[in-house]
Amino acid sequence: MLQRREASRGLLVAFEGPDGSGKSTQRKLFKTWLKSEGREAVTTKWNSSPLIKPLVKVRKQVRALSPEEFCLLHAADFRHRLETEVLPALWRGATVVADRYLFTALARDAARGLPFDWLLHIYEPILWPDIVFYFAVSPETSGMRIAATREPKYYEAGQDITGIDDPLASYTTFISRVIREYESLAIVFQFITIDAERSIDEQHREIREHFQQAQRRPWPDWNVEAIADWLARAPDAPRAMPRAAHV
Amino acid sequence: MIAVEGTSGSAVAAAARSLARALHDATGHGGVSAWDASGIFTELAAAEAGIAGPSARTLTLLYAADLAFRVRWHIAPALDAGESVVVAPYIESAKALSIAAGLPRRWLDEVFGFAPKPHVCYRVKEPRRRESSGRQNGYSESFTSALVANGDPTDPAELRARSTEYLNSLEARRRCIRFTPGEVARLTRPQTRRR
Repeated sequence: MLQRREASRGLLVAFEGPDGSGKSTQRKLFKTWLKSEGREAVTTKWNSSPLIKPLVKVRKQVRALSPEEFCLLHAADFRHRLETEVLPALWRGATVVADRYLFTALARDAARGLPFDWLLHIYEPILWPDIVFYFAVSPETSGMRIAATREPKYYEAGQDITGIDDPLASYTTFISRVIREYESLAIVFQFITIDAERSIDEQHREIREHFQQAQRRPWPDWNVEAIADWLARAPDAPRAMPRAAHV
Repeated sequence: MIAVEGTSGSAVAAAARSLARALHDATGHGGVSAWDASGIFTELAAAEAGIAGPSARTLTLLYAADLAFRVRWHIAPALDAGESVVVAPYIESAKALSIAAGLPRRWLDEVFGFAPKPHVCYRVKEPRRRESSGRQNGYSESFTSALVANGDPTDPAELRARSTEYLNSLEARRRCIRFTPGEVARLTRPQTRRR
């Protein structure tokens, strides 16, 4: 069934990088270009599940989240979107553009001191994207771009773990850790690194070129467990595969 | 730290209350850390109509988030202060339901890996007749009704049977002790030092 679907399924493209790296701008340009090419394109944004987002928002406002709760709530949000938005769209053939994906959680939560192995397990079974674009900027550039428009928020600035009162100073410390984690992930998971210090136009042209040349990651080789899990349990999934025998 | 596990919300809550009361009488302290202390599931139940519901895996992650809250605010402070705390339900009840819904045991062990091990684990046997009033008084009931509402293919009767089987296996391996009123007295009896 996966072999048959492989030809018609959509591609999953993830845009990753620190705040202020310009990935949302690039994601919008990329999506517009995909549509101009006649493709159906769907966007999924980080922490946007209509079911879970309100829970996270309230808890962020009162600054009541420990790193573990922060991580687990975002993992629940991710799983809900994966099962109800991402996989159904891919299955019907749409290209899904993820404005932040699993690697955001790995980088941020590892920067908060949580064990990397545990984080990977929380997100299992993992649906590996076909392409990951990583928008690389220095901590200084990220900080300058954020500070130009607004003050970083409490968790965005990592104030829950740095203990620094000044949001921007805390942000600079925290984002340096996040970028270090991202750089390791970029090597391990073979991201396509985009130099996000360059002009918007140059970046966009490079993204198009990479996308046109990129090889997809075949589901039967990469994502059997994630797809089987979804097919066995998700209410909107096609019911043609047997339940995975886990127990 | 005394865990009370079971798949009947009302039975688990009743056992936890009696244990906490007895501990309080014997030691002057002893509270209960109950499910949904963080309010996640209460808020989830109030979600707007028309939004796709959570799967078993999403529910498990939310239970773990609620448990992280309980560990931080109830369990760790009590233990640090040298006080007893009754946690009802704890990890095994959630695992029983998730395994019954088809989730892998290895994944569940990893997810709940952050939570400390209880000193004692009691298992509360399910009443012979399940409450048919539709009361949402525990994680088990909430989990089951969420799966049903979400169109999960697992049959609720099968879910109950499999989760009971898992808890039975814990009892058989002495990982949990069957809860009886006599256990309350035994737990709070002053221990005599043997030479």
